[in-house]
Amino acid sequence: MDPKLREVSQIFERFKAAFVLNDFGTCSTQLSQLKVLLTEFKSLPPLFQETPNAIHELTIARDIYEHAVVLSVKMEDQDAFERDFFQLKSYYTDARGRLPPSPQEYPILGLNLLRLLVQNRIAEFHTELELLSQSALDNPCIKHAVELEQSFMEGAYHRVLSARQTVPDANYAYFMDLLAKTVRDEIAGCSEKAYDRLSTSDARQMLLFSSDQELLEYVREEHPEWEIKDGFIIFQKVKDSVPCKEIPSLQLITQTLSYARELERIV
Amino acid sequence: MTQDVEMKEQAAPPSDSLSSTAPSIFHHLKEIASLIETGAYAREVRRISRAVRLTMALRKKLKASSLSAFLNFVLVPGSEVHSRLSSFLPKEDEQDMEVDTATSGAQAPIKNPLPELEIYCYLLVLIFLIDQKKYNEAKACSSASIARLKTVNRRTVDVLASRLYFYYSLCYELTGDLAEIRGNLLALHRIATLRHDELGQETLLNLLLRNYLHYNLYDQAEKLRSKAPRFEAHSNQQFSRYLFYLGKIRTIQLEYTDAKESLLQAARKAPQAALGFRVQCNKWAIIVRLLLGEIPERTVFMQKGMEKALRPYFELTNAVRIGDLELFRKVAEKFSSTFSSDGTNNLIVRLRHNVIRTGLRNISISYSRISLVDVAKKLRLDSPNPVADAESIVSKAIRDGAIDATLDHANGWMVSKETGDIYSTNEPQIAFNSRIAFCLNMHNEAVRALRFPPNSHKEKESAEKRRERQQQEQELAKHIAEEDDDDF
Repeated sequence: MDPKLREVSQIFERFKAAFVLNDFGTCSTQLSQLKVLLTEFKSLPPLFQETPNAIHELTIARDIYEHAVVLSVKMEDQDAFERDFFQLKSYYTDARGRLPPSPQEYPILGLNLLRLLVQNRIAEFHTELELLSQSALDNPCIKHAVELEQSFMEGAYHRVLSARQTVPDANYAYFMDLLAKTVRDEIAGCSEKAYDRLSTSDARQMLLFSSDQELLEYVREEHPEWEIKDGFIIFQKVKDSVPCKEIPSLQLITQTLSYARELERIV
Repeated sequence: MTQDVEMKEQAAPPSDSLSSTAPSIFHHLKEIASLIETGAYAREVRRISRAVRLTMALRKKLKASSLSAFLNFVLVPGSEVHSRLSSFLPKEDEQDMEVDTATSGAQAPIKNPLPELEIYCYLLVLIFLIDQKKYNEAKACSSASIARLKTVNRRTVDVLASRLYFYYSLCYELTGDLAEIRGNLLALHRIATLRHDELGQETLLNLLLRNYLHYNLYDQAEKLRSKAPRFEAHSNQQFSRYLFYLGKIRTIQLEYTDAKESLLQAARKAPQAALGFRVQCNKWAIIVRLLLGEIPERTVFMQKGMEKALRPYFELTNAVRIGDLELFRKVAEKFSSTFSSDGTNNLIVRLRHNVIRTGLRNISISYSRISLVDVAKKLRLDSPNPVADAESIVSKAIRDGAIDATLDHANGWMVSKETGDIYSTNEPQIAFNSRIAFCLNMHNEAVRALRFPPNSHKEKESAEKRRERQQQEQELAKHIAEEDDDDF
């Protein structure tokens, strides 16, 4: 076996051992070591050179990046997730013909979809979705994310929250927790517009707080404009589209003048 | 997706007096060759585009024998190009009518063929091969032509080159190897940019977008599109294609308003003959309008030649219009194969949300007060907790401005607000202003788009033609004068 490849697999074995023990410090130092070593393989993207060990190298590199993505979820580092995922992605797309599919592929793609949803990057969410085949869409991990997005767009927030119980993979929990926060903000925003007033107990239930204390805390921090009186939250309505009393004369004059100028050019 | 590729060819009308006298194809080809020659010497790109147009009119009649005769005439027999191109042509019985003229033409071969003519021969052979469905030969031929093109840097070749790029991509698409040529297309685009070949850039950008979208790589397509240089469109067909691809990208990225504009414009700009392309544009435009919450008019679905293709979309629209989730689900299931082959399946999944919205809007218009239990029932929400879902759905719809209502949580009902008098606001005036601005802008664009070919007035005009033209002008003048009289 190639000495470089052997070195990589040895470090990777140690990395995996630390990974199982959730020793994040060791994991990240070893991961950066591994990433540096991987740059020396010419068979990896974007070069894709046909070296004798190509398949082996590609497989181990993919494995390393898959672990890196999961590690970033465990360490709750979204930026690292994004970086590692993009490095991993080309193994799924461009190297598809060279490698047998990885069992981790769909769970990780699903995780990424969930991340985009949490970060409210819906356009990218749909762009990623277009890349998936019909069979991929039927995979429980992907389906979970797709259904979440639908419920989220519809406004069926209870469905989003109950999906927390049916996560297909333990790693999803982190993003689901983040999503719950996003959902709370959404509900608060909607309630503000939809209700004139709401009793504090209803509001507490709706915003998923366990005590009134937490609710008051949240209102004070996020929505100081809400008024709390006699056990009710009163939302300050912004009065919109008041019937026009004044004629916007200056605007009308400029518009009419521009029409005149344009018409003159035509005739 | 393949329907639209053919649109250019049908779009070229046989717009010349040459076609009325039809001695032989070989003869025609000779005339085209001389047209290219004069175009090349005079550096008039216009002549070359005319030559390409004339060729497209001949396309259906091309035969191997006339082609090889033409190759013998233009290229030096025995030269590298000649032998390469002739090897692509099938050996046929030489007992054709054309042989006579062929031998007479071959007696006086041009010693050093112009690069324009050489490229033209490539184009001709390539078109012939594609029409004969010899895709593997076509691939070899197009690759050879592209290799040759890279070494030629003349503005007069650009028109021919852009057609070659197009067929190059087409024959790879027909064999399903589009991904293979992506790198090459990018390199060609770079070359075209360095040479200020705008027509080539335009064509290649479209081919690249098509290439990316073929594999659903919307991210890459958008990145390329937003960074590629843009300029005034040179070819109407290329521009409408560009708009179509742009519309698709924007739809996927949820920029529906812009997407609608691009798609509708693409459908309008496309030539009348490009039916497949216009159907595609319409399909996407319908979905985008539905996603925007608009309901397309019935006339959209009844356009000539499109009724059948748009049928699934018509039923879908109907379901959205009524706001019936059950019906919507049935339609989506019934036509799922059509939708997935159109690549619109994911968009239709997004529509579910609009169906609910429409249903909700209908409810809010009909009732001044309705309990949330009834709302859930009417919307046919099937979930474990329909009332809570209905409540949050309604509150989101209120926030997004889809309906004007308030919720009463304690009593569990929804109260619709009176719709205010829109005419007491500035709204109508703003709408009127935007329409006027649109019309004025349209006029200005039309004026700017008028093109006057250089030296056109110097061109020789036959006496008969001149008389005809003068007569027409007189009539027009009379007409205008009459109209003026009517006006005052």
